[in-house]
Amino acid sequence: MGRIGLALKVLFSGAFAKQVATIGAAPAIAHVPAERKPVEPPKPVRSDAVTLLATLQREARLLDFFKEPIGDYSDAQIGAAVRDVHRMTNDVLDRMFAIQPLLDGVEGSTVNVPGDADAGQYKFTGNVGDRRPDSGELMHHGWRATKCDLPKWTGAGDSALVIAPAEVEVKGS
Amino acid sequence: MTADFAIGIDLGTTNCVLAYANLTAEKADVQLLDILQLVAPNTIDQKKSLPSFLHLGMSSDAESGTWNLPWEQARTYAVGEVARRQSADLPQRTISAAKSWLCHSKVDRHGAILPWNTPDDVQKLSPVTVSRRYLEHLVAAWKGEFPDSPIADQHVVLTVPASFDASARELTREAALAAGLPESLVLIEEPQAATYAWLDNQGDHWRKQLQAGNQLLVCDVGGGTTDLTLVDVVDEMGELQLRRRAVGDHLLVGGDNMDLTLAFYVSQLFKEQKNIDLDPWQSVSLWHACRAAKEALLAEDGPETFPVAIPGRSSRLIGGTVAVDVNREAVSDLLVNGFFAACQLSDKPTRQRSSGFQELGLPFETETAVTKHLAAFLARNANEGSASAQPSHVLFNGGVFKAAKLKARLLQQMADWFADAPRELDGNRDLDYAVARGAAFYAWNKHNGGIRIRGGAARSYYIGIETAGLAIPGAPRPLSALCVVPHGMEEGSQTDVPGDGIGLVVGERATFRFFSSVVRKDQPGQRLQHWSEDELVETDSMEAELTKTDGMEDDYVPVRFESKINELGIFELWCVHTESDARWKLEFSVRDDADV
Repeated sequence: MGRIGLALKVLFSGAFAKQVATIGAAPAIAHVPAERKPVEPPKPVRSDAVTLLATLQREARLLDFFKEPIGDYSDAQIGAAVRDVHRMTNDVLDRMFAIQPLLDGVEGSTVNVPGDADAGQYKFTGNVGDRRPDSGELMHHGWRATKCDLPKWTGAGDSALVIAPAEVEVKGS
Repeated sequence: MTADFAIGIDLGTTNCVLAYANLTAEKADVQLLDILQLVAPNTIDQKKSLPSFLHLGMSSDAESGTWNLPWEQARTYAVGEVARRQSADLPQRTISAAKSWLCHSKVDRHGAILPWNTPDDVQKLSPVTVSRRYLEHLVAAWKGEFPDSPIADQHVVLTVPASFDASARELTREAALAAGLPESLVLIEEPQAATYAWLDNQGDHWRKQLQAGNQLLVCDVGGGTTDLTLVDVVDEMGELQLRRRAVGDHLLVGGDNMDLTLAFYVSQLFKEQKNIDLDPWQSVSLWHACRAAKEALLAEDGPETFPVAIPGRSSRLIGGTVAVDVNREAVSDLLVNGFFAACQLSDKPTRQRSSGFQELGLPFETETAVTKHLAAFLARNANEGSASAQPSHVLFNGGVFKAAKLKARLLQQMADWFADAPRELDGNRDLDYAVARGAAFYAWNKHNGGIRIRGGAARSYYIGIETAGLAIPGAPRPLSALCVVPHGMEEGSQTDVPGDGIGLVVGERATFRFFSSVVRKDQPGQRLQHWSEDELVETDSMEAELTKTDGMEDDYVPVRFESKINELGIFELWCVHTESDARWKLEFSVRDDADV
């Protein structure tokens, strides 16, 4: 698969990438097992950004963490809470985006920049001349999403902007 | 229609997994199905496993579409990740561990009894129905991914604990067929499936690790149960073969017990060090935090201490978080002493019989030491001329063994018992998904050829027969047990049980008490007059309606028994008239489904 194909795979959602990847796979024998067909996703009626926030709050309490004023807490108290938030946020991000370093090179080592690389893949700093540089020291390896699988929201109406529902406990027997 | 896929389904106590492999591929390439499911109200996502939890929604939920799935609208219940999450918030409306109830013969498995011990205004379901719902979900998720390969046309293998008896297997099968799985469904034992996963992982390399005369112990400690299996490596006409020799009892002790034990200990720490009493909602967080602590502390190079933090419930996360440091030494002592205590090979698990009234619930083990259960299992299946079986190799399965120290402890215990210490099989483990993967690999092999583990019936089975004699008012007639299926009876074979005919009354329903044994090695036709409670375990009774046929003059007919195990491993027992062609099939006593 060429560079553009790869980019498509990276950029588009898993479902679309599956379709892209299967285009051109011609049947070679008489009995061909059915290809995986993704379920038709329900029509989204809220922004994926809200769904992402809702997931990070539900699974990692990330909003609670950021919305709480931390000025009065000791570092130890913050540290106690943040460990789990950190671990679970990382789990969510990995599951949805399968995040990988963009470059495999070790930070601090010298890297070569291919002449045909996408402009968006590199950020050049320091002593940069008029011509695009072909090598330099790797300061940060970058990140990339290798998939983009957000949960699908099936609700409707006013709750489209709800990130976390209010919790109400019923007391008594 | 031709099957496209081999499918393996692990219907677990706490998680269900579906693995598949393309049958037309050159080699078995086993994949896991991404199972579409609700992860929160109105929120759908895909996960590798479907948590075995069922949430019973409120009646208003159907209208608002809270539990809608692409394949079904206006649902009043949900299964999977969302139900697991609801179990903390709504324990009275959440069903868990249905599988443990499925093999509990003291309750009506068709009765609407779950959630157990909850008020009557909550709708209830039977263990069979709950299992069916999990499988229905997997079937629907499969259909969404592979609409052109209906699951009813595929080669499907479903796993059950080795310790499931014939009746629990029959109930599992019933739930599976009701969910839309094919009639050709094959049930295999979970420890065997774990072994197949290892074989798949090793390829032909397995013949280098094992040789004729070796004995493999499969030690599968899941969330709720411990399942032991012994496999012999034999040479048959120059070919190495695997033969399952024995399976253990159904032991209701597993990783959940360990996590709860740890949670109790940590809650004491909170009380002592911080003067904090955790509320029930926090206890669930505590349970999950303790599992993470166990895995971290008991890993190969685990830290000295691990912080267990319980977040506050309100939006004040940091202010509400309470934490204590848990010490590796203490956790290791607690779990090793409680569940892996050092013992002698001759030790037996202590069974406490509580006297008087006991609440009917799941029969959890009173003996929690896995080591003692293992000692009893090995002693019971002794090699000839020896006090016990002596495994040369061990295959671990189940999430508990993510804590490497617990594996090491079991290996050390066996090294203390035997001159030749058994060693763990090499190779990568996928402790969470091995059973489903192995089942798919088995299904693929069954179709395309490849290594099979032989074994036959893991238990012998007995029919209870009231002995003739003077009836004493008020006292039951003495009972004898007639062996109808010998241990090791091969699939696809049939046994005519020898012996005198047994008299039955025509036109009436004949009911027999039914027993199984993993201990005794009797031959068909052998009749036991006495047995100890540990030798024979009573399971569901069997019954048949004896219809009168032409040419039958007497109301009283002599019959003999005939047992069969077909190629799919399904057990059948027939009463055969000794003087004509008439025959009646015995079925496990089935009560009406109360919740349909």
